[in-house]
Amino acid sequence: MSPAAPALTLWRQRLFGSPLTGLVTLALAFCLAWVAIPLIRWALIDATWVGTTRNDCAPGGACWVFVRARFGQFMYGFYPPDERWRVNLAAILFVVAGAAIAFAPQRLRLRLGLAALVALPLLGIWLLAGGLGLRPVETREWGGLMLTVFISIYASLIAIPLGIAFALGRQSELPVIRLISVIFIEFWRGVPIIAVIFLASLLLPLILPGGIGIDRLARAVIGLGFVIAAYMAEAVRGGLQALPAGQREAATALGLNYWKATGLIVLPQALRISLPAMTNEFIALVKNTTLVLVVSILDLLGIAQASLADPNWVGMNMEAYAFSGTIYWLICFALSRWSRHIETSRRR
Amino acid sequence: MTRALSFFNDKRVRGVIYQAAVLLGLVGLIVYFVRNASENMMKAGIASGFDFLWRTSGIEVPFVLTGYTQQDDILALFWAGVANTMLVTVIAIVLATLLGFVVGIARLSSHWLLSTLAGAYIEFVRNIPLLFFVLFWYFGVIAALPAPRASISLFGVAFLNNRGLTIPLPDAPANFRWALLAILVSWLAQWVVARWARRRKERTGRDAPVFTIGLVLVILVPILVVTYASLTTRWDVPALRGFNYRGGFVVIPEFVALLAALVTYTAGFIAEIVRGGIQAIPHGQTEAASALGLRPGPILRLVTIPQAMRIMIPPMTNQYLNVLKNSSFGAAIAYPDVVSLFMGSALNNTGQAIEIIAMTLAVYLVIGLAVSAFMNWYNARIALVTR
Repeated sequence: MSPAAPALTLWRQRLFGSPLTGLVTLALAFCLAWVAIPLIRWALIDATWVGTTRNDCAPGGACWVFVRARFGQFMYGFYPPDERWRVNLAAILFVVAGAAIAFAPQRLRLRLGLAALVALPLLGIWLLAGGLGLRPVETREWGGLMLTVFISIYASLIAIPLGIAFALGRQSELPVIRLISVIFIEFWRGVPIIAVIFLASLLLPLILPGGIGIDRLARAVIGLGFVIAAYMAEAVRGGLQALPAGQREAATALGLNYWKATGLIVLPQALRISLPAMTNEFIALVKNTTLVLVVSILDLLGIAQASLADPNWVGMNMEAYAFSGTIYWLICFALSRWSRHIETSRRR
Repeated sequence: MTRALSFFNDKRVRGVIYQAAVLLGLVGLIVYFVRNASENMMKAGIASGFDFLWRTSGIEVPFVLTGYTQQDDILALFWAGVANTMLVTVIAIVLATLLGFVVGIARLSSHWLLSTLAGAYIEFVRNIPLLFFVLFWYFGVIAALPAPRASISLFGVAFLNNRGLTIPLPDAPANFRWALLAILVSWLAQWVVARWARRRKERTGRDAPVFTIGLVLVILVPILVVTYASLTTRWDVPALRGFNYRGGFVVIPEFVALLAALVTYTAGFIAEIVRGGIQAIPHGQTEAASALGLRPGPILRLVTIPQAMRIMIPPMTNQYLNVLKNSSFGAAIAYPDVVSLFMGSALNNTGQAIEIIAMTLAVYLVIGLAVSAFMNWYNARIALVTR
């Protein structure tokens, strides 16, 4: 008997075990073929991969030439091509720093992490925006995947500390602090993010003293940061509530004050518990960065949408959507798998 | 000295001081912002107050339920937007729940291919931004539909084309008002019957055929009444004249695209809630029920679903509120909801940002709070009573 035989029996059992099962299998297989075969033909078999203009595209299939021609825009928006190395460098720096922190010895990790938390965001802004020796690039020229990643990271730099603060505030024994935290969290969770982005872009310049111009992109990042902070706060609250009360009581009994008990005992454990939930909020943030489209900031989806208006590439809707959608899916799917992985690895 | 120190070491005193400091800081910040805002508005010559609500709006809205016209005031525009938001929200919630339940139960099916396909669907929609679906349905699918002349005919009465969905409209809606009343009465009757049957069962232990009666009252009566009403009414069936359809009611493409996006996206999340809710019921529950002699139908109806509902309701409420909030994504394709009409058009015309933003956010906050309050009440009612 060949080793494939038991597997074959298993599959026959699974798909055609009973008449009803077989019928369902056939019906589903028919539907699947009806959808998948034209899709595969369009995306792979009949597609055009090489060329330079629209005339190179074969009719009936996808024209990936379009994506190749616009790849730079999809990634960097209208960032000047000569300066794009700065974006790449910033990305490499973030990745290297992340890896260094992850693999650093335990005793160095905290110090390294804090240093990176202070230095990297400033370094990133300097590299991207320029000034101090680098050619200035206005945020108007930023776009594409780079902007999606930028907004996600910088909005969460606002959201995570604020979220932790409000989660602690909501658990506080002091009624005024608790009330303020509850109002903050429930307000931002109750309103649509699109409205918040409008709100930030209209109200932020209004409530700051006249003459202080605030960058369009910064407004969107601040707006998103506040909303996600409220969702992060709820994620952290889950971790705080899951932690046995004995932890704080024991810390207090050892003579630690509120801040020391929180910083050394409660938060490190609570954050570890809420890491999967926080990752899920981060995924939501990545998906919601697309909404900056409504204030004419073009992230990956916005660039894809804007590229449909190019008269040289009429009718490339499906290619633009397929490409941008795949990138979003890969990012979010990878993050959600990672979140699930930390959740299951903890349970064991 | 020591007394002063111990005074400040008192936990209660410290609490009061901390809170006073935070409150003072917050009030100071708000005063600072308000002063800046009024100064900036003075400089820009923007009026304040709610007088603008009674000004003529002059904004044309392509999709109106409230009878709003361009000559009405801005407040009427606001309500037209709220009505459009509610319409797409309610329909999307109903359809997404149906699709979500189907996908969620398919995910749990013992049939390998069915559950894999359901899983693939869930993983697909959950990991892609909703705005992507909105734009995709609008610019990718609806825009690619044929022109009115080559419309896709749905049973010869409704027509789908790139200008939207044209559906027939009854000429005389009076019959439908009676039908609606009849449906409400029969649903009320079912509620009374169920109450009576429960009381009687508690008293005497005798079962009443509530399910069969309910089937008649809740499903059969409405179907019959609606069929009767639609057969006795004259219909304004859309017909092709020139380049477009005349008659009937045109559901604008923005609505169709937004609805399709909301339903397909939300169904992925609801499916996960349904799966989680059903899986959370310990296997012993169904085993115990069948050991007591219950058949699979009653087990599902009396044991599994009531317990699963208890787990599913809080996350489900969250999803419904998300649908309400996400209906604002229509602003990206100019669906005339409250955000795009009021926070977009009206704000552009009047410039009164603060009032308009406050009113728009209030819509979502009020509905959100009302739904949360209702759900808390409902949750408390069906919660497990312990001791």
